[in-house]
Amino acid sequence: MRDGIEVARRGGAAVALVTEVFWPQGDSVAASAGMPDIPRLRLPHPVAGSGEAAMGDVAKSIAARVVAVLRGAASPDNVSQGIR
Amino acid sequence: MTGLLSAANEAEALELLHDSGCTDGLPVVIPAPDRVARLVLASGLDADIDLGAMGPGGGSTTIEKVATNAVMAGCVPDHMPVVVAAMRAMLQTEFDLGEMQSTTHCTAPLMIVNGPVVEHCGIAGGFGALGPGHRANASIGRAVRLCMMNIGDARPGVSDMALLGQPGKFSFCLAEAERSSPWGSLSESLGYGADESVVTILGAEAPHSVLFQNDGDDPDSPARLLRALAAGIANTGSNNANFSGGSVAVALNPEHAQVFGDAGMSRRYVQAELHRLAVNTRGHIRSLNTGFVPVGAADDLIPAVRRPDDIVVFISGGSGLYSAVFPSWAAGAHRNTIVHERVATGAACDLPWVIG
Repeated sequence: MRDGIEVARRGGAAVALVTEVFWPQGDSVAASAGMPDIPRLRLPHPVAGSGEAAMGDVAKSIAARVVAVLRGAASPDNVSQGIR
Repeated sequence: MTGLLSAANEAEALELLHDSGCTDGLPVVIPAPDRVARLVLASGLDADIDLGAMGPGGGSTTIEKVATNAVMAGCVPDHMPVVVAAMRAMLQTEFDLGEMQSTTHCTAPLMIVNGPVVEHCGIAGGFGALGPGHRANASIGRAVRLCMMNIGDARPGVSDMALLGQPGKFSFCLAEAERSSPWGSLSESLGYGADESVVTILGAEAPHSVLFQNDGDDPDSPARLLRALAAGIANTGSNNANFSGGSVAVALNPEHAQVFGDAGMSRRYVQAELHRLAVNTRGHIRSLNTGFVPVGAADDLIPAVRRPDDIVVFISGGSGLYSAVFPSWAAGAHRNTIVHERVATGAACDLPWVIG
């Protein structure tokens, strides 16, 4: 989350990947950093430790959306679900 | 002044504070303006002095806010300089407070107090020092926690992501039993004078008990005590063992401290030996966790901490069989650095000593 905020602060296109369990924390960190609307995409939980194949599946399922959000061609989950 | 809430009476005010998420779940003293003003006065500082931004929420740590939380925690004026010193210590960049508050680990700031303020405030360092039953310990530690929640905005499951938490997250404050030390005080070992009051803080897990029975007929007994404590530090469930870094606290009960003292072992020697002995083989750690210690020779020795100075050795508790080891989170940019701060009393702050 903070990595995404740092990239955005430096003017880069950013999207933070946040797992389901940590979604509320993502909202909190984004708000406290003064960037409540920084784009976020929701991942299943857990990703870490789930094994290469499972992580690969998550990456395949989300990669196109990450690129689309970075290009401004798709809405991130915090906007499309009305979550700030 | 910070915004005021209104309530018809203290009972209603308490429910309002609970409902607002401003408490730790236990009843608090209602921070009425006169009570807050009294603790601001006791700090010797202006209400609007800002000690710094507290993460993860980034709230301004003004003296007034600290006093408000200290009132809620049950502090009396004499406690206030200790709470302020703790805030100053924890807001040092090296402490990584914002990150520490956000972690899934159960870390909490363990406060060790030295110097004249210990006796003045009645901070316990003997039997049951970590509680329950000691007002100053409970109130000062609780004030720090309430500041972390209400200024730093650490909310369980939202911004404080500790998976389970631990009781020390309510309050985690004790004194060193300096009179039982064979070495002088912890704060003196950190470079302070014997007449200075000091708060030393590290992020720590709950105490892990270490059982040791001394045998006065066994010349190896002091070395056995070192090995017993080192085994506690090297506990392979800890972040220290897996991350090979961070800090650790060791609370020696007076009897165990005397074992070292009688053997002519200095505090620095004990720290160095614990650092040397608190190791695991790479193979053993990787047989439990593969994600932290890199691949390498299985019989390599992996230290639980990087330097002897990363082990805080202090004397506290009643005399007997049990000392304690406090592992730490061992993460963040500075890997759980130990911080300390002088408590401003005496010439720098006369008022707290004369306010009843």
